[in-house]
Amino acid sequence: MKAGVILGTLVLVALIFLYEWPRINRTQKKEKVVFIVLLSLGTILAIMLILNPDLPGPTQMIEYIYKPLGRMLEK
Amino acid sequence: MIEKGKISAMQMGIMMYPTITATAILLVPAITARYAKQDMWLSPFWASLIGFLTVYIAVQLHHLYPQKTLIEYSEDILGKFLGKAVGFIFLFFYLHANGIIIREYGEFVVGNFLSHTPLVVVMGSMILVCSFAVRSGVEVIGRLAEVIVPVVIILILANIILLIPDMKVENMFPIMEKGIMPSLMGAIIPQGWFTEFLLIAFLLPYVDDRNKGKKWGMISVTAVMLTLSLINIAVLFVLGGITSRFLYPAFSAVRYVSIADFLEHIEAIVMALWVAGVFVKIAVFYYALVLGTAQWLNLSDYRPITFPIGFLLLLFAVWSAPNLIELIHFLGSSSPFYRISIQTGIPLILLFIAKWRRKTNNQKLTQQG
Repeated sequence: MKAGVILGTLVLVALIFLYEWPRINRTQKKEKVVFIVLLSLGTILAIMLILNPDLPGPTQMIEYIYKPLGRMLEK
Repeated sequence: MIEKGKISAMQMGIMMYPTITATAILLVPAITARYAKQDMWLSPFWASLIGFLTVYIAVQLHHLYPQKTLIEYSEDILGKFLGKAVGFIFLFFYLHANGIIIREYGEFVVGNFLSHTPLVVVMGSMILVCSFAVRSGVEVIGRLAEVIVPVVIILILANIILLIPDMKVENMFPIMEKGIMPSLMGAIIPQGWFTEFLLIAFLLPYVDDRNKGKKWGMISVTAVMLTLSLINIAVLFVLGGITSRFLYPAFSAVRYVSIADFLEHIEAIVMALWVAGVFVKIAVFYYALVLGTAQWLNLSDYRPITFPIGFLLLLFAVWSAPNLIELIHFLGSSSPFYRISIQTGIPLILLFIAKWRRKTNNQKLTQQG
């Protein structure tokens, strides 16, 4: 099941790559680097989330920082 | 400049309207009702004050740095390192906030209509549509908003009119039974939504008639305030004291519409147009995020990074909350403070520093001269 989802994710990433890569100008070196970095970040995160869906997320981090204020509103 | 498109000040105001209301009419009335009870219709008025403040800050900063967006001038104000750090906070915030918005949309659609469709498919298709809008630039989003928003407003008003037979005015009384405090407490949550007006800091540099930017920003805040208040009144009149027990009170209220046993189940139409509204909302957030990222990294074009960021948005939408209950808990506790501190707090500090720097620079110049 998980292997299938990972495969699907990789297909999606490949589609994004195939759609966008020919459209980036050859002179835009920096854009290409950023494109690859962002896409690989996304892929790594996706695989991490598929393998471990309970990974602590950004919301938990924010909740931890703002807890003293947030408690004011809890009932 | 990366973005070559131009929008009018009116288009900016119209774009901002669904950017606030689209998700504010979903979960917020229930959370507001939990604190404000029958005074919930007052809360949007208090909450809008921070909206006016945010527009004022954004416009003031825009006057100091006319050609630049938030990400660019925070670097000018704070210097290279701190500016980049603040820029990263904003970008992370918009990534996270947009993830939450997409999640709210997905949970709503899956929970009410497409109950057998996987959440990821619902959210992913929305992101795909939005990314094509974002790739086309700010002009296209502006025109889309011009087409969609009037219909959305007419629809909201039509629904409220259709609900009139079910309304009980006595649900409103006693007004301010426990003083002003409950309505102020209820205002904390919508405040988080009103601070989203900071997004105009990304749009103002591309506004044609720049002296009207402030006017249309303020008009937009007022329109949002009146809409939210009207919806809260309608929900309160129809549902009364049990409002806070509903997940989506405004939507549940619409289900009450039944005119002559003939006009019923109009929630399908509401849904269709609400999706159009939330589409504008996600597109505006997405656009600010993509443009901001491109400026943060000094790219010459923002189009190439649209899809990778869309993919990240989908992941953040999945990652932001394990389920709807946790999401509501977050929105009802820490989230307003998070939103206010980043979308109003940081820009306010930026404005003070910018003014102060301007002043000391002027003094130096006069001393030298």
